[in-house]
Amino acid sequence: MKQKMRIKPWLYSLPALILIAVVLVFPIGYTAYISFTNMNLYHWNDYHLIGFANYARALFKLDAGFLSALLTTIIWTVLNMAIQLTAGFFLALALNARGLRLKRIYKTALMIPWAVPAYLSILLWRVGMFNTEFGILNKLLVLLGFEKVDFLANNTIAFCSCMVLNLWMALPFMISTIDGALQSVDRNLYESATLDGAGFWSQIWRITVPAIKPIIAPAAVMTTFITFKQFDIIYLLTQQRGYMTGATLNTVITYAHQNAFASNNYGLSSAVSVLLFLLIIAFSMVTNRSLKEESA
Amino acid sequence: MKKKKDFRSGCKLVVLNVFFTVLCLVVLVPILYALSVSFSGKGAALSGGLSLLPENPTLENYRTILFDKPFLLWLKNSALLSVGTIAVAMFCAIPAAYAASRWRFAGRTSMLRMLLVLNAFPQVLSLFALFRVLKMTGLLNAHAGLIMIYAGSMCVFAIWNLKGYFDTIPRSIEEAARMDGAGDLSLIARVVLPLARPAIIVTCVMVLITVWNEYLFATTFLLDKNAYSLAGGLYQLQSNDYSRNWSVFTAASMLSTLPILLVFFKVQKYMVSGLTAGGVKE
Repeated sequence: MKQKMRIKPWLYSLPALILIAVVLVFPIGYTAYISFTNMNLYHWNDYHLIGFANYARALFKLDAGFLSALLTTIIWTVLNMAIQLTAGFFLALALNARGLRLKRIYKTALMIPWAVPAYLSILLWRVGMFNTEFGILNKLLVLLGFEKVDFLANNTIAFCSCMVLNLWMALPFMISTIDGALQSVDRNLYESATLDGAGFWSQIWRITVPAIKPIIAPAAVMTTFITFKQFDIIYLLTQQRGYMTGATLNTVITYAHQNAFASNNYGLSSAVSVLLFLLIIAFSMVTNRSLKEESA
Repeated sequence: MKKKKDFRSGCKLVVLNVFFTVLCLVVLVPILYALSVSFSGKGAALSGGLSLLPENPTLENYRTILFDKPFLLWLKNSALLSVGTIAVAMFCAIPAAYAASRWRFAGRTSMLRMLLVLNAFPQVLSLFALFRVLKMTGLLNAHAGLIMIYAGSMCVFAIWNLKGYFDTIPRSIEEAARMDGAGDLSLIARVVLPLARPAIIVTCVMVLITVWNEYLFATTFLLDKNAYSLAGGLYQLQSNDYSRNWSVFTAASMLSTLPILLVFFKVQKYMVSGLTAGGVKE
């Protein structure tokens, strides 16, 4: 029986493990291997090992672009999360205002962007909102007597456009998570706080925030990872083949993708991928620990 | 005093209602605008008008996408890929999740942790390596290859999600069936799976949505236009010449969003119990 219990679980897991080995493990191993070679357009088949040269180039040569992409990614993640959590919190709070009878209708309407396939949302925004000919924003500007604006023309404005779109796509999830968490707060706490003379803001800080923090923490961490890894928005808005918009905005992940598929510098791209992977693992170890402590 | 308070909270509600009405409208503008373009006649998209109602309403765009473009073929391919992926992913994930939930064996914890670490690697960056895998196995330009990749990448999520739910099913229920002489596999099929219905449904829906929305692998690994999935086909449609295809593209977007929208709101009631049972321990 004991012997059987050693083999049987693995037998049950075998199909999954084979599939995962092929689809997840092999690519990571292969990427790690390529990261130590000089594989690129000129050394497509005759590449050879060159040690840590790709890593050195990514980390120590400023004009390689990796470090600035990393900085962009950090700003992107921090700004997005800060706005999402604040806006999500106050919107959810407003939805829960006493006597708001149409809450369900508002909530359903606000959830719709979540349900639309992400790539379609992005492509619809690219032409329907931001485009200079078809975009409704530019039509509005012209109607009000302003000049047309190319919302993807340079890095600053493209960054803002990408962020607005990301918020549009991500806020529904945040609102519904926080809204769910708010339902679990004991209403009696507010009553007694009001009797003690606590105002609106001090009630929020002393009661609401501490009560919902442990509930939304896992969702917030998950969203942080998703925001950090966000690829589609920047790629589809500014980097599609044949439709480069003039913005050279890159986060680490679009940077790695661009180096592989636009400039065919597979060695460098792989080194960046591995660095990114290590970064994500380190980050998830830190957040895992703090999440555990919070729930303990 | 009381009257003053009533008046104040009444004002507050009016302000909130106005605020949310405006907010919902603003949030829905991109979708409403696309919906209106999809019903508009030629040239309307370029006109300066701001109306969210279609000008010269017509079904022409829908006719074009349905009959002049291989939309129905793409739809069939998407359905095929979704069903295939769900079947392969569940076939692999259910026994693994059951083993991880019910049995304590050497290497169990490290296996589960390892899966999470593997999942942290951004899939976009595996594109090149996966291309190699498909080329080696001769599955390039085949739906089977794409199904394998989708199933593999969703497998980790499926195992964790199902394992979490299996953990909440009391063993005592299984013991009774075991007394009747049921083996492990028939036990899973007849007792565990029916009880884990919410988790199974949510997992399948997540896989479905992922496959339905995936365009990058689909356009990289499938070279034949007729083999494209909906996402791949629509992506290609806009990347070829969006200015000419824009109104047709909006019609196509509406058509391919609708099923997902329906599924999304249909399973929302399962979402909470199916997704959180594993993670949250009360």
